[in-house]
Amino acid sequence: MIFNEPVFNPGGDRFIEMELGDEMSFDLNFLVHNVSGLIRDSQTKGIIEIVPELTSIMISYDFEQIRYADVVKEMSALFHSLGSLEDLELDSRMFYLPLHYFDEWTRDCYDDYCAKIAEKEWDPEVLVRINGLSGLEQLAQVHSGTDYWVAALGFYPGLVSLMPLDPRCRLTAPKYNPPRTWTYKGTIGVGGALCSIYPDQTPGGYQMIARTPVPIWDPAQILPAFKESLALFRPGDRVRFIPATREEYDYVDRQVEAGVYLHNVAEYQRFSIRNYHDWLATIDESVRF
Amino acid sequence: MLEVIKPGLETSVQDMPGRIGYWEQGFPFSGPMDFWSFQLANLLVGNAPGTAGLECQFTGPTLRFHRDAVVAVTGADMTPLLDGAPAPMWQSFVVRTGQVLCLSFARIGARAYIAIAGGIDTPPVLGSRATFHQAGIGGMEGHALKTGQVVPVAQSDGTAGRRVAQDRRPPLTGAQIWEIEVVPGPNDDWIDDAGHERFLSSDWTLQARSNRTGFRLTGPEWTFAERAYNKNPEHGEHPSNILDHGYPVGTVNLCGQTPIILVNDAPSTGGFINPYTVPSAVFWKLAQSRPNDIYRFKSISLEAAQDMSRHINCLCTEASITAA
Repeated sequence: MIFNEPVFNPGGDRFIEMELGDEMSFDLNFLVHNVSGLIRDSQTKGIIEIVPELTSIMISYDFEQIRYADVVKEMSALFHSLGSLEDLELDSRMFYLPLHYFDEWTRDCYDDYCAKIAEKEWDPEVLVRINGLSGLEQLAQVHSGTDYWVAALGFYPGLVSLMPLDPRCRLTAPKYNPPRTWTYKGTIGVGGALCSIYPDQTPGGYQMIARTPVPIWDPAQILPAFKESLALFRPGDRVRFIPATREEYDYVDRQVEAGVYLHNVAEYQRFSIRNYHDWLATIDESVRF
Repeated sequence: MLEVIKPGLETSVQDMPGRIGYWEQGFPFSGPMDFWSFQLANLLVGNAPGTAGLECQFTGPTLRFHRDAVVAVTGADMTPLLDGAPAPMWQSFVVRTGQVLCLSFARIGARAYIAIAGGIDTPPVLGSRATFHQAGIGGMEGHALKTGQVVPVAQSDGTAGRRVAQDRRPPLTGAQIWEIEVVPGPNDDWIDDAGHERFLSSDWTLQARSNRTGFRLTGPEWTFAERAYNKNPEHGEHPSNILDHGYPVGTVNLCGQTPIILVNDAPSTGGFINPYTVPSAVFWKLAQSRPNDIYRFKSISLEAAQDMSRHINCLCTEASITAA
């Protein structure tokens, strides 16, 4: 549910968790990012940083500048100043990312896990079975058939939580148990109802189905997209995956290696939740691609 | 300039307040864990309290100075030696060109701090010189010091012979049992009464697998409130699972049955509950404890935690410094 009143809880002497609801939904996350925008724009004295997540906002504050009770009061007032959810809009850039499905690298990582940690069903087959799909071809169609919403960043620098915006393309998957000790940089994974891109070689738990050659964070800031920020995405951006052959993957990979790759992004779009809801009402959610 | 002869176990450049403004992209603040000792070291040599210095963990470095400097060593007692002769702790002293400062293993405490007048002058990354080694940013090329590196130091005059009064330092005794204050929340309502009682009355052992990301604890089983079982399935299967949310620094993150206190380099978000949070004023105790030490948690109010923090902030000022 989405709460009528936000719930506040302290995290020690300098953090406050502001919960806006307790469900995984686009509407709730859209609300989170609207409230976060208001908090940033308000420049409330004593608020240092915020971390917007799926349903909540973590706030760090300086208690010498603003008291706990006043943070609660100010944030509640901002929340109530928003007005109706239906009227809200957010700037939303669209990124196009090539990816190669069922690639040899994620297969290699899976084989390594089976040999060293635990035997398991191959990740794409887990997704086909659990989501009632006809096979790998349909999995690729369904997974690449929707825009994804950047719902949150975090855990590791640049890591994204992506929500499919088209309900016909929702996929669910259990997480690895125990988790993997390593994952290839650029791996595309599905866990729970979310999709993610691994920004670097890190441990992981999402089922691996593809790999992209396009970096989504770069501490060396080599490519033009990273000149202003080490992380590619901001919450409220969208991502569209473009299936690529191995040859197309290698072509992009060579451009990245040469330091000349231009990220494919459209920056002119604004996301209206009313338009989105109107569109949802016209489609049959039970049909797959 | 400092030449690294031996790097020590994990010696890193840190500053305060650390990397601020990038938390929402997943970058933690980093910075020194025992910020009380760290700031006093800087004050001793005449630096602003947050100036970049070195954090030494468990075993300190051996450093050759390539020019005269005023230096102070605080925090854990790593038996500092200057050209083989004992160097004072909690007191600023002169190091001459060519002299070697050597810190060895920590006899008392776990983390020592070295401040040099002028401060470490590595290039700031995202507004801070603090090292965040998981992502390879800040400090010396993104990581802890390595043998043979030359660490840049900004030119500045300092004053030798300044000292921190005994009663203004963190009280390090070498005792292996620590009282750790915690504030309930943000997710204390996910734990049942028996679970709270057990957390606050049991001995918790600090595991060896602990670092600047998290302090793992071993202790009794947790039990959960109704809310942890009766929740939307998207929260996850285990009672400690919650929809991904932000993690406060210092929080007691319950990962299945293992509590992990998330510290300076911790992940910004994740899918486990945080029933209690260690307030900033208690971080020096975390920083100075060692594997197999015992934690006994004591629940305090938010107001009490903020008063403790104010007290330490008062101690991290020029008023704590006297002539030796």
